[in-house]
Amino acid sequence: MTKTYRNIYIPERTEIKEKLYLTGDVCLFRVESERPFEYNPGQFFMVSLWGAGEVPISVASLSNKRREIEFCIRRAGKVTSAIHELQEGNFLWIRGPYGKAFPLEYAIGRDVLIVGGGIGLAPLRPVLQWGLQNKNSIKKISLLYGARTPEDIIFKEDLQEWAEKGINVVLTVDRPGDGWDGNIGLVTTLWHKAEIDFKDAVSFICGPEVMIKAAIKDLFFFGMPEERIITTLEAHMKCGVGKCGHCYNGEKYICTDGPVFTYKEIKEFNLL
Amino acid sequence: MTKEWILPKGHLSYWLRQLRNTASLIAPLRVDGDIVFKSLENIHEVSLDNPALLPSPKEFLFPQQESLFWVEDGTKVRQLYNNEKRFVFGVRSCDISALRLLDRFYLEGYEDPYYSLRRKNTVFISIVCNNPDPTCFCIGLGTGPYLEKGFDIQLTDLGDRYFVQAGNTKAIRIIRQWKFLFNKPKRVDYEDQYEVFLSSKARFQKRISLENVREYILAGKVKDSFWGSVTERCFECGGCVYECPLCTCFTVTDRVYSFGIDRVRLWDTCLFKGFTRMAGGILPNEKKILRTKRWYYHKLIHYPDVLGGFGCVGCGRCTVTCPGKIDMATIAIKLRDLQDND
Amino acid sequence: MIAMDKILTVCPYCGCGCGLYLHVDRGRLVGVSPSKSHPVNRGSLCVKGWNAHEFVIHPDRLLSPMIKDKGEFRECTWDIALDYVAHRLMEIRDRHGPDSIGILSSAKCTNEENYLMMKFARAVVGTNNIDHCARLCHSSTVGGLAAAFGSGAMTNSISEIRDAKVLFVIGSNTTEQHPMIGMHMLDAVDRGAILIVADPRRPQIAEFAHIHLRHKPGTDVALLMGIMHIIVNEGLVDIDFVRRRTENFDTFERILRDFHPHAVERITGVGIEEIRRVARIYAMEKRSMLFYAMGITQHITGVDNVRACANLVMLTGHIGLPSSGINPLRGQNNVQGACDMGALPNVYSGYQTVTNPRARRKFERAWKRKLPLKPGLTVVEMTEAAYEGRLKALYIMGENPLLSDPDLNHVNEAMKRLDLLIVQDIFPNETMQYAHVVLPACSFAEKDGTFTNTERRVQLLRKAIEPLGNSRPDWEIITELSRRMGYDMKYRGTYEIMEEIALLTPSYGGMLHHRLREVHGLQWPCPDVAHPGTPFLHRKKIAKGLGTFITVEFKPPAELPDDEYPFILTTGRIYFHYHTGTMCRRTSVLEREEPECYVEINPDDAEVLHIKDKSQVRVSSRRGSITVFARVTDRTPQGVVFIPFHYSEAAANLLTNAALDPTVKIPEYKVCAVKVEPLIKEDRRPRSIKIVDLEDLRIT
Repeated sequence: MTKTYRNIYIPERTEIKEKLYLTGDVCLFRVESERPFEYNPGQFFMVSLWGAGEVPISVASLSNKRREIEFCIRRAGKVTSAIHELQEGNFLWIRGPYGKAFPLEYAIGRDVLIVGGGIGLAPLRPVLQWGLQNKNSIKKISLLYGARTPEDIIFKEDLQEWAEKGINVVLTVDRPGDGWDGNIGLVTTLWHKAEIDFKDAVSFICGPEVMIKAAIKDLFFFGMPEERIITTLEAHMKCGVGKCGHCYNGEKYICTDGPVFTYKEIKEFNLL
Repeated sequence: MTKEWILPKGHLSYWLRQLRNTASLIAPLRVDGDIVFKSLENIHEVSLDNPALLPSPKEFLFPQQESLFWVEDGTKVRQLYNNEKRFVFGVRSCDISALRLLDRFYLEGYEDPYYSLRRKNTVFISIVCNNPDPTCFCIGLGTGPYLEKGFDIQLTDLGDRYFVQAGNTKAIRIIRQWKFLFNKPKRVDYEDQYEVFLSSKARFQKRISLENVREYILAGKVKDSFWGSVTERCFECGGCVYECPLCTCFTVTDRVYSFGIDRVRLWDTCLFKGFTRMAGGILPNEKKILRTKRWYYHKLIHYPDVLGGFGCVGCGRCTVTCPGKIDMATIAIKLRDLQDND
Repeated sequence: MIAMDKILTVCPYCGCGCGLYLHVDRGRLVGVSPSKSHPVNRGSLCVKGWNAHEFVIHPDRLLSPMIKDKGEFRECTWDIALDYVAHRLMEIRDRHGPDSIGILSSAKCTNEENYLMMKFARAVVGTNNIDHCARLCHSSTVGGLAAAFGSGAMTNSISEIRDAKVLFVIGSNTTEQHPMIGMHMLDAVDRGAILIVADPRRPQIAEFAHIHLRHKPGTDVALLMGIMHIIVNEGLVDIDFVRRRTENFDTFERILRDFHPHAVERITGVGIEEIRRVARIYAMEKRSMLFYAMGITQHITGVDNVRACANLVMLTGHIGLPSSGINPLRGQNNVQGACDMGALPNVYSGYQTVTNPRARRKFERAWKRKLPLKPGLTVVEMTEAAYEGRLKALYIMGENPLLSDPDLNHVNEAMKRLDLLIVQDIFPNETMQYAHVVLPACSFAEKDGTFTNTERRVQLLRKAIEPLGNSRPDWEIITELSRRMGYDMKYRGTYEIMEEIALLTPSYGGMLHHRLREVHGLQWPCPDVAHPGTPFLHRKKIAKGLGTFITVEFKPPAELPDDEYPFILTTGRIYFHYHTGTMCRRTSVLEREEPECYVEINPDDAEVLHIKDKSQVRVSSRRGSITVFARVTDRTPQGVVFIPFHYSEAAANLLTNAALDPTVKIPEYKVCAVKVEPLIKEDRRPRSIKIVDLEDLRIT
């Protein structure tokens, strides 16, 4: 007699509805699943492509009724390059959502500071979307976003929209090209433009490791409590559910104990 | 719930034969100079006078290489389950202790369906060690040489008979199927069993307290220079991980055949730098010392915090397999000596 | 089928010959575990051994014979493929003579298969054009040691290492390339032995060394002669041994006078004091073992290097005793066996030379065929002959010359010019692209036979699973082919082939399968069925009577750096990979660890050239150029760069020099001149995508 177990390793089928290049090697995939998934900002899915493998990808959208999920994928390794070859109408296989989400409740009644770098804006995008939806219960939202060059800025339309809807959007680039007269340098040089009360704010940070480290250090220095400095970490994973051991870092599994961590946890468990 | 019986030695092969008739029976066999666990063809080949150090039975629940599922035509996903019922006979207490932690690891939180099914289908019949190897150190960890609870069926060799303990209802059911082979234990049997426990304990050559080592590390007393000297001797063979009954890391790979795709999982090792390779070739653990530390920290610091027991049961397999002699026991002893000199 | 079976067999990777169990679950290979009682690995394995099960069932396996038709391979039956090969081979033999056919045997195949291949070449085809990759690794050893002692193999056993007092390792990255031998060395060091490493690079073994000599690449003869000069000068020669067991010492001593320590210091870059220390330590302790590997052999002076090692051992009398001797570490799992079996152009099995009429008559009587008189072509000479059109057909079993041979562009052209190229292998390889016929063979897990490891231990390989698809064991393919060419080879199993080998090969006289089954193999010489095998050679008497001191001279490498190509390139292997990567690069864990080729360069050189760690660089020689990632490390000395040769996408052998040792024709893989240039990484620009006008983005 064969008893069927719910198999956590078998992904479900989704169809690529839209493939939109945001920069030369970053592409937004909007997929439609066969059943509704409920997920929260900060969580991730294991995204599979047969023959290539599986990678963890954060959700870049808010959970909605239309069974749609958006993934922002940068062409970096074998699997992501193969995913980039897919066309609209092709299948992408996913399982999840996994991991802890951003503790958005911290934002209620406070200023929200969102710090992003490069493709790190993708997991923060649903946080911003949520912020706009819940504008009345939070004080002010500031977004500090840095990219390498103006061409590397992702979600340009969203940035525009957010700015129009009252979010304080501050952009900066490392290497400006022609026609850029905005900020130049790292995001950590722009704290004065955040225009928030650091002591009573919550920050959500995502980006390259160096940027996260620098941002945390500064924010802590400005008096932001360490449990309200929140970031999300990246790691190599094979399972997403705390079994394969690849993402074990410091003393935590990034997949099940994270990927969202507060600075308090990062310090306690040597995660960075 | 534990129930006890006595099995006269003369009844053992009959019982094993009966077990083999109901499920596949895996037992230690002497082949080509070594003792290995394999399917038993001839009951009389079982080798129980062997040293304590046998291969880890981890492979029967978490095989070195295992197909997760097949994908045909790019859309049809076919799950592969091994539904075979098995008895694994002759394992030692340390490994049973390891299984208890493995169960927590694999079955709590997200349940691993492959492990879960194999675990349900496998009954372990363990034997109390009365002749530990020089490499064994379970005694300091409470994981052997005998167990009070947590086993399926535990045998104690009392010379002419076995003291049989069944640790759960499934095990009791199995014994009761061949009830006529087993007798009720008498007072003297309990005394004899206790005697065996005592004499077994007296035979250990190594006594190691991992608790002390853990505290020493947590107190920040172990310098990186120490880990550096350990790391220098690492051959990066992965042997400690492959042999360890408590190491669980795996990697997943897709094999693309013309007739389908096989998603396979294979044992993996955190001691390799590519283990944590991120997209784009970033290697967070490129420095070898970080990987060595990671292995020891995971076993000594993280396991007790999360699973309530050390990631080491004192089986001593890493002592045998490590070409650089930087196994758990050696390191623990070195740290103890350092501590003494502090 | 048995639910869980474990079969003791031999690791298919390096020459250590570790014993491992293959785990078979209902006919499927599921794992590997080490043998605890095996004298070499004693319960350990290296990472390659631990993962040896994975490649066997890789989807790339060749599972059907194929014939090329209009530039494309088409699958066909064995009958069609074998008939085609037999027909074409006979046609070419009849039209151009037997010497227009060349055969490459394999150090990855069993003794039985190598013996049959040798028999096939000599008795069926009628040519001595048979060789294998030993030419590229240890032909210098076979040539050099045979002349000095009469036997070209490791004199002592691996299990004796732990009892040694001094270990002198020259040109071997032991812990990474022969990890289980490295384990024994480390064990010896822990037990108080002194470890001396001579290597221009700093391999892992050097971390444990008491003395590490970093001489310049290609100056080994000078270094060894310098050491001997001091030994003689300081009266550390084992005079008794030299007088009783050796000859030609006086001539040698005269030559030795030229190698004054000051001159040696100038040539090698190693200080006199260091050389003196090594000389004293090595000579004064009786249990001194000398080890060497490719660092000694792969030079145009390869044979001279080996001779110098042999002279050093004789001078100090460190031979014929346990825990002493001269110990070449063989690379392939069965390279020792393939040599023993006579898969070489000049000898039959057991090193019986083809030019010796008595040996030839013996084999002619046994095989009932007239055998060719003159020695055949070597690997590199076959390529040359193919290039010039003298060689029309090449039959390659389990080798990949298009990645392993030096100066690949040249090999490429040579292969293209062949009328018939037969490739018999388990996986598609680079050479296959020019093949006319492909014959799928079985891996080590699917066949029986014997392997001979580096310490001369002949061990049984046992079949664990049935052949995959339509693949067949190599020995069956050879017998089938032979039958179709009019020469019947009838064997019911590999044990019958071994019986024939034992009959014709004195050193294998007692190596019958049933004897090998009882223990973990026997070490040759084992002349009869009662003989227990020989753990160490030259006991009481040097094999050939007296050991011969052969004079050597120092010659610089064929190509030295100059202004245009200022670096010395040395090639080699890395721990996670193995040779041309056919097996390891199909093993997920191994491939993940080192997926890309790299060049090791010293930090000082890197700074001058503005090369950053992990950046892309171009390395070029006079013969070709490749693009690789830089790995800036002081493991490699200034002026030297190192590239592993496993990667077909960046083949180090496009750069190497095909200059040959004049005696045994080994190419100089270890030294050639190259230049290194940084590459500016191209920035990947966006590909026509929807981008909001930058004007809109000036939000702040």
